[in-house]
Amino acid sequence: MTGPYATTITVVALVCAAWTLISAAANRPRGVALLASGLVLEVLLVGFAIGGIVQMAGTDQELARGEFVMYLLGCLAIPPAAFVWAWGDRSRAGTAVIALAFLITPVMILRVQQVWAGSVG
Amino acid sequence: MADLGEHSDPQARTGPAPTGEGFGRFLVAVYGLFALAATSRSAVQLATDFSHAPLAYLLSGLAALVYVVATVSLARGDLTSRRLATVAISIELVGVLVVGAASLLLPGSFPKATVWTSFGSGYGFVPLILPFVGLWWLRRTR
Repeated sequence: MTGPYATTITVVALVCAAWTLISAAANRPRGVALLASGLVLEVLLVGFAIGGIVQMAGTDQELARGEFVMYLLGCLAIPPAAFVWAWGDRSRAGTAVIALAFLITPVMILRVQQVWAGSVG
Repeated sequence: MADLGEHSDPQARTGPAPTGEGFGRFLVAVYGLFALAATSRSAVQLATDFSHAPLAYLLSGLAALVYVVATVSLARGDLTSRRLATVAISIELVGVLVVGAASLLLPGSFPKATVWTSFGSGYGFVPLILPFVGLWWLRRTR
């Protein structure tokens, strides 16, 4: 659950977050690039969720399985929900909503890893 | 808080401003995040070992409910929703202050964490700031 794939998602999410925050601060209108970055992140997250569930199925280790799957699905749900909600507002507030979704993704990845390691009760 | 009537305001609008636009759009997103976090936390706690710490787990459930109600009502923003949001966020404020203080003074009662434990320190103290921002926003947009 750790390793280069999770690190890649974290880096991508943070880069997207920084860029989106700059866009919001500069009051730039949102464009296709923002949508594309969200799509890339979501595809990465789908891979993470599938990989996580496959790994979970193949291990005997002590693990809060329900919680683990819930966190993986939570990761997946956040970007689409943020985009749907953000798209209703053309102002920078909409862009900020997407930045928030990008920012929270690394935290969610970290929580997934903590549940995997069994340190979250 | 006695003067909530719009008619006393000389610059009164015909209706309140929407609570889910502009900054409110962002605020609803933050509330939505906490609704998700608190709901999943309490679902796991209630499902796995409720008997271990019933008080903390019930408070987690209450917190989840409060965040969900606040998110939906702020997003909707009509008159009824504004009242509902005010009630939910007021409970949130009392909750985070009381649970925050109690978890520090009587740590024995809270063997398991809730969103509000230690004033929300596990969530970057956002749960402590959020109700103040929420109530400010409701006043600002009324």
